[in-house]
Amino acid sequence: MSLRVEVRHDRPSLDMRLELPEGAITSVVGPSGSGKTSTLRLVAGLWTPAAGLVAFGGETWFASASGVNLPPRARSIGVVPQRYALFPHLTACENVEASLLHLPRAGRTPRAKAALARAHVSGLDGRYPHELSGGQQQRVAVARAIAREPRVLLLDEPFSSVDRSTRKHLYGELKLLHAELGCTVMLVTHDLDEAALLSSHLCLIRRGRLVQAGSTQDVLARPASAEAARLLDYGNVFRASVVSHDRARRLSLLDWNGVRLVAPLDDRVGPGQPVDWAVSHAEVRPADAAGQRPGDNIVPATVRDIVTLGDDVHLRLAPDHLPALTLHMKVSRHVAHHRHLSAASPLRVRLTPSALVTMAPSEDGDAGGRPHE
Amino acid sequence: MEWDAIRLSLSLAGWTLAILMPLGVVLGRWLATARFAGRHWAEGLLALPLVLPPTVLGYYLLVAMGGASSVGRWFQAATGTTLAFSFPGLVVASLLFNLPFAVQPIQRAIEAIDPDVREAAVCCGMTSWQTLLRVELPLAWPGILSAAVLTFAHTLGEFGVVLMVGGNIPGETRTVALAIYDRAQSFDAGAAGSMSLLLLVVSFVTIAVSYGLGSRLPGTRRRR
Amino acid sequence: MRRSLAAACVAASLVACGLPGTGPAAGQERPALVAAAADLKFALADIAAAFTRASGTHLRITYGSSGDLARQVAQGAPFEMLLSADERYVLDLQRAGHTRGEGALYAVGRLAAFAPHGSVLSLDPDLRGLQSAVAEGRITRFAIANPQHAPYGRAAREVLERLGLWARLQPALVLGENASQAMQFAASGSCQGGIVPLSLASAPDIAKLGRFERIPAEWHGPLRQRMVLLSSAGPAASAFYEYMLHDAGAGRTLARFGFARPEGR
Repeated sequence: MSLRVEVRHDRPSLDMRLELPEGAITSVVGPSGSGKTSTLRLVAGLWTPAAGLVAFGGETWFASASGVNLPPRARSIGVVPQRYALFPHLTACENVEASLLHLPRAGRTPRAKAALARAHVSGLDGRYPHELSGGQQQRVAVARAIAREPRVLLLDEPFSSVDRSTRKHLYGELKLLHAELGCTVMLVTHDLDEAALLSSHLCLIRRGRLVQAGSTQDVLARPASAEAARLLDYGNVFRASVVSHDRARRLSLLDWNGVRLVAPLDDRVGPGQPVDWAVSHAEVRPADAAGQRPGDNIVPATVRDIVTLGDDVHLRLAPDHLPALTLHMKVSRHVAHHRHLSAASPLRVRLTPSALVTMAPSEDGDAGGRPHE
Repeated sequence: MEWDAIRLSLSLAGWTLAILMPLGVVLGRWLATARFAGRHWAEGLLALPLVLPPTVLGYYLLVAMGGASSVGRWFQAATGTTLAFSFPGLVVASLLFNLPFAVQPIQRAIEAIDPDVREAAVCCGMTSWQTLLRVELPLAWPGILSAAVLTFAHTLGEFGVVLMVGGNIPGETRTVALAIYDRAQSFDAGAAGSMSLLLLVVSFVTIAVSYGLGSRLPGTRRRR
Repeated sequence: MRRSLAAACVAASLVACGLPGTGPAAGQERPALVAAAADLKFALADIAAAFTRASGTHLRITYGSSGDLARQVAQGAPFEMLLSADERYVLDLQRAGHTRGEGALYAVGRLAAFAPHGSVLSLDPDLRGLQSAVAEGRITRFAIANPQHAPYGRAAREVLERLGLWARLQPALVLGENASQAMQFAASGSCQGGIVPLSLASAPDIAKLGRFERIPAEWHGPLRQRMVLLSSAGPAASAFYEYMLHDAGAGRTLARFGFARPEGR
């Protein structure tokens, strides 16, 4: 029993099918303009595409084929908009009561107060939105959304306008709230870290298309395509070809334009076939000076430039065998210092074998042939 | 001091407000939220009384409701009196020439409401009617007040249309603006002066009080 | 809380405005509605006051140019009696069926030339002062009623044409919408003078604002002022009509304001 969403539309261009498991927090992640907010508005009933479907728990909320299109108030939803959209002329408690108009007047206030308490924002009932901090406003918006005990909770980048420390508190509160309520949550965000922290399922979208969907752990650790890998911020996405598979040792051997690389076994692609592969920039490490052993994934390269950002040092390297490409690397400051890493100097790096991810090659041409964006 | 004329003017303003305020809310909200092809033509039509000389308005009103028109004849048959040169005729004229004053401030105020807030209302489960009563009207209240004040003041001051359509009949269509004109023509500076002063004070107090009330309403302050 | 208080204030004031608002004074017997030419402004006020004292009946009088009032009657204005400054309007209305009969002549109107205090215009019985002032170009603004629909304006034009001044004076003419507005313009001091009804120029309130000179009646077509009861006339209007026709006091008042008796009376 999941939330099924299908949409096909021209402007903006959207064509995807999503399935959000019931009772879980699912993040819909993508860059701006990817269509995530349109999708949320579709589920809420605020937008109608040319063709599509929204079904949940045996109910059909929208079906272009049969002309069904329930208005938002007929759907069991709660929405927290990006800028909260609290009613400026009502107090916090009255804002939440606004969701409870279907109840008799006497019952509204207690329910509203209970929702505010659940959202960890009691004691501010009589304050107006302009008298509340950003974090408090967000909590009131959440209280307003859950007051009707919706089965689906839609959050549109709800943490984007609060500062970092407040955000950490809010993350924890959301998880607690979800544990209490057990509703299906659709969290729209462009922040991968947030998605990783909060959600059990992840839908990656880009330019109105679904790139990859699955459990958060799976998607993060095993991108299914070069496009997904790029969206997941694997700095290094290239193309190689498969040499052989060693099932006994559960390894695959790849040929990256002459450099041999070892990756965890992935026999979806046969020997001799092209394959896309990726490795996180944190798994590119300076190699030990001593000799090379097979299976070490040593790549000789030259440092192009170095940028220090806080405690991290980001390097861009040109592999010696493919100088047109860029290999991204991230080390801590003290490692950079200890190894005397500097620009325009040669550097041998080791790509952690277990961290290499192989993916079925995408149709839109090679991932390794062109310089990384 | 012609108390009859003063009472008549206030009465005309009162009736105009009573009918035009609900109408203004309906039309203002429709124009603010509806999207249809001829919208700008509709807005232009509504704004005509603002730009037309009162005599043009008066002329067309007479044509439309004078004794020779079908509207005028229907009214005469129904009530026994003419529509032109009568108080009901003045009310009809007043509704028409005050339309932009009643609709535009309300329309602007509703347009200024953050669309996110309106959508939030819908997602909270409110019907269209509830959204209007609980969210849009309270937030647009300063606009509504402004519309009421403008309509009131404009009705008190309207001269050309009232003269053409009403005919300056004492006790029926002789508003205070016409009475002042008349008294001035008769060299009765005393009466003209005292009525003018009264109008000035009433208008000033009304406007000042409405501004004061308007700024104290909570919805008006926070607008991002 | 404040919001409902504000709403209550506004609502209360609106209701207060609207309450008396069933329109005109209801309940009493409606006073007779009389339309009168603007030149009668002061004379008729006196006569009406005397009538009310004598009979206890009140009148509501609307003044305007005869042409304007006749047009309103034709369009269905609820007047019960019309006192016109030109009998042609009355006869036209009678032909169109708006009147009860032909009515009766009640006065013949007279014109006067008026110059406010301090004006360069000097007045004399033959209006030579006016002629020389025009010839010397010293008249820049001269008030008459609008000849299109005010009989006194038409008569003023005839006088000026007879004196050969019409063409010269054209650019300087200020047209009053009715005879009393012409009087107001002439007496206001922003015109050098004007040709106005004698009944207005000679009224005490106005006479003190300048000098006037009666214009010979032969210099213009006669202003035969006719009154008539209209189709909707009630008993009060009829009573007043009779009063105007027969009451000696009314006749004296008209004479006092410079009106001549119509022939046969």
